[in-house]
Amino acid sequence: MSLAVTAEQQELRATVRRWLADSAPMARVRELMATPTAFDPALWRGLAELGVLDLAVPEQYGGAGYGVQELAHVFDECGAALLPGPLLATLGLALPLLLATDDERARARHLPGIADGSTVATVAWLAPGAGWDSAGRSMGVTGGKLSGSASTVLDGMSADLVLAVAGTGDSAVVVAVDPTAPGVTRTAQPTLDQTRPLAQLHFDDVPCTPVGTGAHLLERALDTAGVLLAAEMVGGAQACLDMSVAYAKVRQQFGRPIGSFQAVKHKCAEVLVELEGARAAAAYAAWAAAENPAELPVVAPLAKAVAGEAYFRAAADNVQIHGGIGFTWEHDAHLYFKRAKTSLMLFGDTGAHRRTLADRIGL
Amino acid sequence: MSTGTPIAPAPSPIDYSPAAQEFRAEVRDWLAANAPDEMRGVQVPREPAPELAAALARWADTLAEAGYMCVAWPREYGGRGLSGVEVAIMNEEFARADVPRLTRGMGEGLVGPAIIAHATEEQKARFLPPIISGEHDYCQGFSEPEAGSDLAGLRTRGVLDGDHLVINGQKVWTSGFFKANMIFTLVRTNPDAAKHRGISYVLVPITVDGEPNGIEFRPITRMTGLAHFSETFFTDTRAPLDNVIGGLDNGWRVAMTTLGSERGGRATTQHLGFMRQFWRLVREVRERGLIDDVRVREQLAWAYSQVEVLRYTGLQLVAELAAGRSGAGLGNGSTTKIRWSEYERRLAEIAMDLLGPDALVVGPGYELDHWQEELLVTRSHTIWGGTAEVQRNIVAERVLGLPKDPAVAPARAAGGER
Repeated sequence: MSLAVTAEQQELRATVRRWLADSAPMARVRELMATPTAFDPALWRGLAELGVLDLAVPEQYGGAGYGVQELAHVFDECGAALLPGPLLATLGLALPLLLATDDERARARHLPGIADGSTVATVAWLAPGAGWDSAGRSMGVTGGKLSGSASTVLDGMSADLVLAVAGTGDSAVVVAVDPTAPGVTRTAQPTLDQTRPLAQLHFDDVPCTPVGTGAHLLERALDTAGVLLAAEMVGGAQACLDMSVAYAKVRQQFGRPIGSFQAVKHKCAEVLVELEGARAAAAYAAWAAAENPAELPVVAPLAKAVAGEAYFRAAADNVQIHGGIGFTWEHDAHLYFKRAKTSLMLFGDTGAHRRTLADRIGL
Repeated sequence: MSTGTPIAPAPSPIDYSPAAQEFRAEVRDWLAANAPDEMRGVQVPREPAPELAAALARWADTLAEAGYMCVAWPREYGGRGLSGVEVAIMNEEFARADVPRLTRGMGEGLVGPAIIAHATEEQKARFLPPIISGEHDYCQGFSEPEAGSDLAGLRTRGVLDGDHLVINGQKVWTSGFFKANMIFTLVRTNPDAAKHRGISYVLVPITVDGEPNGIEFRPITRMTGLAHFSETFFTDTRAPLDNVIGGLDNGWRVAMTTLGSERGGRATTQHLGFMRQFWRLVREVRERGLIDDVRVREQLAWAYSQVEVLRYTGLQLVAELAAGRSGAGLGNGSTTKIRWSEYERRLAEIAMDLLGPDALVVGPGYELDHWQEELLVTRSHTIWGGTAEVQRNIVAERVLGLPKDPAVAPARAAGGER
């Protein structure tokens, strides 16, 4: 498979785009935003019927056997539509984490449910009140039971399966937990970006099943998550640029469209230049994830950082170009702005990704 | 420590056709048999010393004789009719063999394509072969003191005198004047016509039968302390009407010709020089014991990312071209130029910061080290060939479809020269 977009991938994108326009228009996104879980089981079933959830699941587990490249196209479209829902948690984090382990039993048990949409899965690894590098520090497994807390758990309220990372370094273990089991307390964390719900999870001697050992498993999953998030951010950035350009063509001031002023033109051009770079980085990263995994540890943090910067700039300039109206709750610009800033920060901000990149290219 | 990234990783992110793979093998075999040792590892400097210049000229002639010059031109005009993908392959193979892929400069990239698109067959027969052979070496006479970004405001006059044009006026920023024997220039032949309409595109010999042709180059010293370009004065300079390309008063259209067929050509190799430069900076930073500084590491990682993005955009474009598509929406000359020119400018600034007090001191005779020269030279890269601001206008208007500034419409700004 090459970097070039295939006819099949174009068709996939078109299908997802149509479905999003019909099933999850912005009005529906705003309704979901106002709920504590921002989760609509009907939309999740819709994604399953569309054939999106099983795309990257291997065939022997009931999947379609495609990979990150195809999934990236889906994330791109969903990012443009600001779709709330556990796509990143389930397909971006939990699925690659399960695939990173060698635990055949765990895969056989959990992957078919992910593929058919019956399992919403997420990963819990961050310590409450700590930074992005706090993986496993606030949880421990003793005698097959998980105890401790994790915060910033993506879609933690709607998950049917939680993969928790307990402990650090070589002694880190990944365990599967049923979040509805006795001893689990879930608390929704109200989020700045209301389209991306988070939860705090507390485990008090909860029975769990080990699925793998070593901090590298989470690292590999986070690399894949970063690649897919980069694709999602590219979609969001393109949506912002489209909004900016459309508005700049029609909004009249001083008797002419504001898009005829260089100050506005140059903003739009700069967003396009950054977006083009981000799109290439995200596409290359998705290609590498699928075809040249040895490159993934370098291209993942690189693409995530580049896409994060591009999206933030596109979203911030979109607010600016819209002027006062762009600052209102009613206009959608703030939804993208909030998604952009929080996505840039997710899994580590730009500086953190660059430090990781520096380590990984041998500086 | 790695020392760079491969030109294209294995497995390849590009599906090349069997014909393209065959072409790659042909170029590779030819280079294995013909690339001279004296060219291995040569990075062509901005101003090569005489000995190297002579070696480069020999290599250029070898390439021309083997049909590796002006390769994007159609076969009927002495080129090879290579597609963008094939030119990219050629560049990759030259990079792999570690020898410079020389071209005939502005003659190959600007004058030839304009001739091919707009000249008569007689003119093509007369002007194209000497470009390929190297007999004609062109410099560009476009910009004027009062016509920079607003190139169409040019005032140099071309007046008909029988079957000749007589040219009077002043051009500026003429690079490569010291080795050129031809100048392609824009002159106003109809002062009564609309701004863009009364301009002609003329090929002017710098000497005629060994005698001066009324062209005087006055070198301009650049901020680096070296003179690399000049002011150019035309005083009763004569050019046969047969040297006007595309007809009298039609020069604007001719000048706007770009070599569309070579899209992709440098896409997969343009990052290589930047990558070499990046690892050079890493080495110098390491030597100064700064490599463990978090701020330094973040800046270096930023730079690495920018170079990689150049590589990814190139690979993506060529992958699309190789798949038989246009690569529409995957960057164009303007966005690519904005990306690399602003990157290298910033890199030089960062390198100076990292190298600290040493970077404040130059050698005897204002001799600059690599990063000092980069700091200064890169300021010109966001000016020549269309300023960064003009490039943004082009992107905004032609790619995004934003309206032109009513105060300057329908003028189309264009670039100065390198």
